[in-house]
Amino acid sequence: MERQRKRGSLLIHGILWVISGLFLAPFLWMLSTSLKPLDQTMTNPPQWIPSSIHFENYWNAVSYNKDVLGYIPFVVYGVNTLALCILVVSGTVISNAVVAYAFARLRWPGRDVAFALTLATMMIPFPVLMVPLFALFRNLDWIGSFRPLWVPAFFGGAFNIFLLRQFFRTIPFELSEAAKLDGCSEWGIFTRVVLPLCKPALAVVALFSFLGTWKDFLGPLIYLMDQKSFTLSLGLQFYQSQHGGTQWNLLMAASTIMVAPIIILFFFTQKTFIKGISVTGIKG
Amino acid sequence: MPIPWFKPALLLACLLLAVWHSESIVVPPPTKGRIVVKYWEKWTGFEGDAMRTIVDDFNKSQDRIFVQYLAVSAVNTKTMLASAAGVPPDVAGLWDGDVVPFADSRASIPLDDYCREFGIKAADYIPSYWDICTYNNHVYALPTTPASTALHYNTDLFKQAGLDPDKPPVTTEELSAMSDKITKKRPDGSILVAGFHPSEPGWWNWWWLHLFGGALWDGENLTANSPENIKAFEWIQSFSKKYGPQQLHAFRTGFGNFSSPQNPFIDSKVAMEIQGVWMANFISQYNKKLKWKAAPFPYPKDRPDRANSTMVGLDVLVIPAGAKHPKEAMEFIRYTQTQPAMEKLCLLQQKHSPLAKVSPEFFAKHANPYIKLFTDLPWGKNSFAIPKVGIWFEYSNEVNAAFEAVYLMHKTPKEALDYVQARMQPKWEHYKKILKLREEAN
Amino acid sequence: MGALQEDPQTSGGSELTAKRKEAFAGLAFASPWFIGFTVFLAGPLLMSMYYSFCDYSVLRKPVWVGGDNYAEIMHDEVFWQALKNTFVYAAISLPMGLVVSIAVALLLNTNVKGMAFYRTIIYLPSLVPTVALAVLWLWMFNGEYGLINETAKRFAVSPPNWLGDPLWSKPALALMSLWGVGGAVVIYLAGLQDVPQSLYEAADLDGASPWRKTWHVTLPMISPVIQFNMIMGIIGSLQVFSEPYIMFPGGAPERSTYMYTMYLFDNAFTFQKMGYASAMGWILFILIFILTMLALKGSDKRVHTGAM
Repeated sequence: MERQRKRGSLLIHGILWVISGLFLAPFLWMLSTSLKPLDQTMTNPPQWIPSSIHFENYWNAVSYNKDVLGYIPFVVYGVNTLALCILVVSGTVISNAVVAYAFARLRWPGRDVAFALTLATMMIPFPVLMVPLFALFRNLDWIGSFRPLWVPAFFGGAFNIFLLRQFFRTIPFELSEAAKLDGCSEWGIFTRVVLPLCKPALAVVALFSFLGTWKDFLGPLIYLMDQKSFTLSLGLQFYQSQHGGTQWNLLMAASTIMVAPIIILFFFTQKTFIKGISVTGIKG
Repeated sequence: MPIPWFKPALLLACLLLAVWHSESIVVPPPTKGRIVVKYWEKWTGFEGDAMRTIVDDFNKSQDRIFVQYLAVSAVNTKTMLASAAGVPPDVAGLWDGDVVPFADSRASIPLDDYCREFGIKAADYIPSYWDICTYNNHVYALPTTPASTALHYNTDLFKQAGLDPDKPPVTTEELSAMSDKITKKRPDGSILVAGFHPSEPGWWNWWWLHLFGGALWDGENLTANSPENIKAFEWIQSFSKKYGPQQLHAFRTGFGNFSSPQNPFIDSKVAMEIQGVWMANFISQYNKKLKWKAAPFPYPKDRPDRANSTMVGLDVLVIPAGAKHPKEAMEFIRYTQTQPAMEKLCLLQQKHSPLAKVSPEFFAKHANPYIKLFTDLPWGKNSFAIPKVGIWFEYSNEVNAAFEAVYLMHKTPKEALDYVQARMQPKWEHYKKILKLREEAN
Repeated sequence: MGALQEDPQTSGGSELTAKRKEAFAGLAFASPWFIGFTVFLAGPLLMSMYYSFCDYSVLRKPVWVGGDNYAEIMHDEVFWQALKNTFVYAAISLPMGLVVSIAVALLLNTNVKGMAFYRTIIYLPSLVPTVALAVLWLWMFNGEYGLINETAKRFAVSPPNWLGDPLWSKPALALMSLWGVGGAVVIYLAGLQDVPQSLYEAADLDGASPWRKTWHVTLPMISPVIQFNMIMGIIGSLQVFSEPYIMFPGGAPERSTYMYTMYLFDNAFTFQKMGYASAMGWILFILIFILTMLALKGSDKRVHTGAM
């Protein structure tokens, strides 16, 4: 029995190693390219091991265009991305928690119809909204500012409302009733009873929205117009040229720097993260 | 139970800081009393550095205007969107194919008055390049770096095949015969070296039609399936018939990036190809040992009138609609059109000059041994540019799809081009109708 | 704070006020979403409906053309081809993604050591910027030198020309999409943790093999999660854009990878046909809606609804 189990776990480890290898490949490729000299980045057949290691690619990637602009663009992009992430994450967490509370724990006329509509909005393809949204922000004179990227986050989104609603419903209603009898207002119940019990779920929402914002390319591409306001994902395009000439090694170095903090973040928060989803249980 | 007030306060502080940062960043920085001209350009890399040098020169040359250079990917889309949003740059560096669509959708302003004011006239330029900048009798753009194309051939591969390296093919028939001599196959039928590969580099698939006396439109209607055009694609397909479409295709997928030592021409995998003036630069960058020559592209034996055919392309500067400082933008553009600035730019980008007058020093300094050839070809009557059709991007997509189908032998040339004509002519008529509607509505 | 203590012996009237209070609170709490829904979803949706009946290039005012756009779409062969491509891609990638992500999640759920490490690795490709990923894939699938074909040749298999053959380009894209299963795996893992241990213990008493346990206990128990992921998968795969857009400019070879959203994007931003693009967007919306409803209806019979 014991031996059988050992063999079984060895087999599982073996399979997991193979799978991990496959999943690691793109990342290792990125790492290896980021350390190569430029003329080795695009060889046929591809080389996995750089013949000489060039750590200076990282400095060159970060300081790219520094002399021309008079500041280190990569740092500016980083600060912009961070600021945007703070705004989007806080907006997403606050607004969705508030709205999901209304859907999960309060009875009001038209609630179920509104919820069905909310779920239906998940199916709207983004391209349908792209054109009119652009026109809307243009009329508000917001193009070129960060506002189109973070203001909508403060008004909730279907996926997160759904996720948090499932979660809020698992908290016993007796707790709310008891607080009510103690003279708590609805807002008090929400902030003092429900929210503290829902930290894992809020963490999930925060992390998902952080990852989404950190990687988002299309939004900044459409709305940001000035180099000083660019985000990291948009900054990556500076290493690319439309006619060959792409600085692959710098592009990969910059990508690596961009991905590293997220990997660390994910590694250390995943416990909360997996728990968070699991308690919500995405069961209709 | 006391509420830990500092946590929410800290979060709030972070949030306010982020708001403050995001709002402050979009306020343009004060610029010591200079008028800032925003300039968006498509180039990064060495071409971008070249353009930046010119911008720096201009900024140093006077103290009233400061040009802010920004490399933007998908510059045409982005400029169009920015104009629509009322926050366009003052100058945009676009492709030749953008001139007409931009003019049609009023995304760029006519420059006639400015040209008169600054004394810029047609006679200053090689006619075919000036022509690219004009549309409906208006000037909508001005040139930066031009491009013309010619046959590039590998003299070592010529010698190995027993051909005279000083005698490039003069007719397309000769080119085919030489290609047969040079092409080497492995025992399993796969190609090792190709004399000529019809889809390498595959950037100007529409251009073959002109070489055989055809055209894409007659100034009024599209003429995708004219007999000459079909002939051109039959010539393309003759290579697939000889060497096998699957073999040619498998061979092509093994080519490295254009800008790499594995570029098939630089790697001696393809002996003859049509390429632009920049090719010499990439050859010296990746393989100094390569022995090569350039010559005018061969013409069909029965069409001697198409000798010295070349594809002319151009990078252009436009002033987008709604630009805040059009006049200052024009002053910068004018600077780029002066002979010293233009020659400096074209030298740095390793291209020829679009200007009618070229200094002897320019040719002397130029690294490309065939720079005279590339400068002379665009003067000829057989220099073909992108047709001035407002739906060019859609049209060229179709021509490319037809080319692929012909080259892979999934369609006969006639079928492929008939399809393009049937699909695009109604779209073209629709487009013209819409343009009229737009004129009436606005 | 200063809320009135309700008398436990509530009269009908005060119960009404309590109800009213709650309804008022509910509407107040939901109000951000009403605003967001109206301004950022419903409004733009109606606008795009209007645009779809217009000729609209960004810089000009929309011109009403009635049903022209829809009529043109019906005759547009490229539209049909893009639609077909997208459906074929979805039909290949969805089932593959479903099987792979469930299998990986089951493996990861076996309480092996180094769980956090494996989980992070599986999630890694979802974090790498698409530009960097696309380059790698181009190498992997290269017909002559690609890693996949090099390996295949070692085993004396003659591999397909993935990127150059219209027949194989969509399967290649679908294979690539497997790198992005990280998100789905994380959600499955969460679902797996919700399966009560008691069920496994009961199965153990019956002497069930691990295989049977998976088939008869685990999968039925996580069926709601499978349903959720499947619907998200339908919505996602019909909107596939960045990978083919970066890797196959213009949908090469022979438009076999020209996806619906690519054509939509080209119409909107390259051909300046915003009205046409809006009409295409609406058609896609309706298709996604119908498919999702079918998927919900079709799978509802098989979904085990546990105690919720």
